[in-house]
Amino acid sequence: MLTNQQCDALRELGNIGAAHAATTLSTMLMSNIEMDVPEIYLIDISKVHEYVGDETAALVLFEINGEVSGGGYVLLHIPKNSVIRLTNAMLGMTEMNRDLTEMDESALLEIGNIMVSAFLDATAGLLNIIMLPSPPSLVIDMPHAAFQSILATEGFMDINEVVLFRTELKSDQHKITSNIFLLPNQPMLQDIIRMLEELMKST
Amino acid sequence: MSPGPGKDDEMVIVGIGDFCVGKMQMSSIGLGSCIGLVIFDKDKGIGGMAHVMLPDSQGRGERPGKFADTAVEALTRELVKSGSRQGSLVAKIAGGAAMFKTFSGNLNIGERNIEAVKAALKLHNIPLAGEDTRGVTGRTMVYIPGNSGKISIKTADGTRKEI
Repeated sequence: MLTNQQCDALRELGNIGAAHAATTLSTMLMSNIEMDVPEIYLIDISKVHEYVGDETAALVLFEINGEVSGGGYVLLHIPKNSVIRLTNAMLGMTEMNRDLTEMDESALLEIGNIMVSAFLDATAGLLNIIMLPSPPSLVIDMPHAAFQSILATEGFMDINEVVLFRTELKSDQHKITSNIFLLPNQPMLQDIIRMLEELMKST
Repeated sequence: MSPGPGKDDEMVIVGIGDFCVGKMQMSSIGLGSCIGLVIFDKDKGIGGMAHVMLPDSQGRGERPGKFADTAVEALTRELVKSGSRQGSLVAKIAGGAAMFKTFSGNLNIGERNIEAVKAALKLHNIPLAGEDTRGVTGRTMVYIPGNSGKISIKTADGTRKEI
């Protein structure tokens, strides 16, 4: 489905997007953000559970629109404990032993918007197009259940393999981890690959 | 995943679109709009699980566990092949949630999955003995064939129940 060269190009694209998202997170937390090497996975749908589990986490989801075939998603994934630390860090609180509240949800939507906009602006900028996130949808649930529900939507339902981009962003100072996932459907993936190849040819 | 009996002590994770039949523990983790379908023999300690993603195979033969109609058919066939009488089979289902409502292309697939699985069970004369469906949260289900058909279900908020 993807050649090594295409994987490298996608990884680099995601790398640039994630670096911009990391910068915004760093600004908001006033702390250093470490970013790992992004991974591109080609996964059979029956193996998705090996990559995303059922451990409760916050997921901020955006559908990708703009000058690219629609139907792909970008997701910000933050484990529950990290959500509490994140809100605490932003609001100067320390109480860890609490449930998630509306305050956390507002913080998640805000952070999701800022980070994902930065991610999409940077990737779209490299491709010389415009990509826009839909309004966010927040779920605090099992990540596999959310991914699975996306895979059953129209843009994905006919395929048995998915391409998943993932990179981890974390703050050691605040002990916060998060992941950015990019889940393009087939038409979006082909558009992006084509644009990347044109870009490589012209340089 | 290849169908057929496995060792008693292993736990098989039935991934999206997969199914398995045997005496081992089986689990489908993180069911959203998907249905975890269990069909078991109420007289023998054997059963099967499918992780159904879509309502209708539209004639496709590959990945029978992925679609409601072919999943019911495949589980029934494998159980009968393993020595069960069709009249002893009963079913339980979990899942079919609607996790997000704001996105396009999501024409209530969970609800359609529930209806399609029930229709397929009816077609095969398999009674539905329990369900935990709909709602807005994901579910993980575990089935232990030796445990008289009890299925445990947990949701993201930590709630656990049995059907």
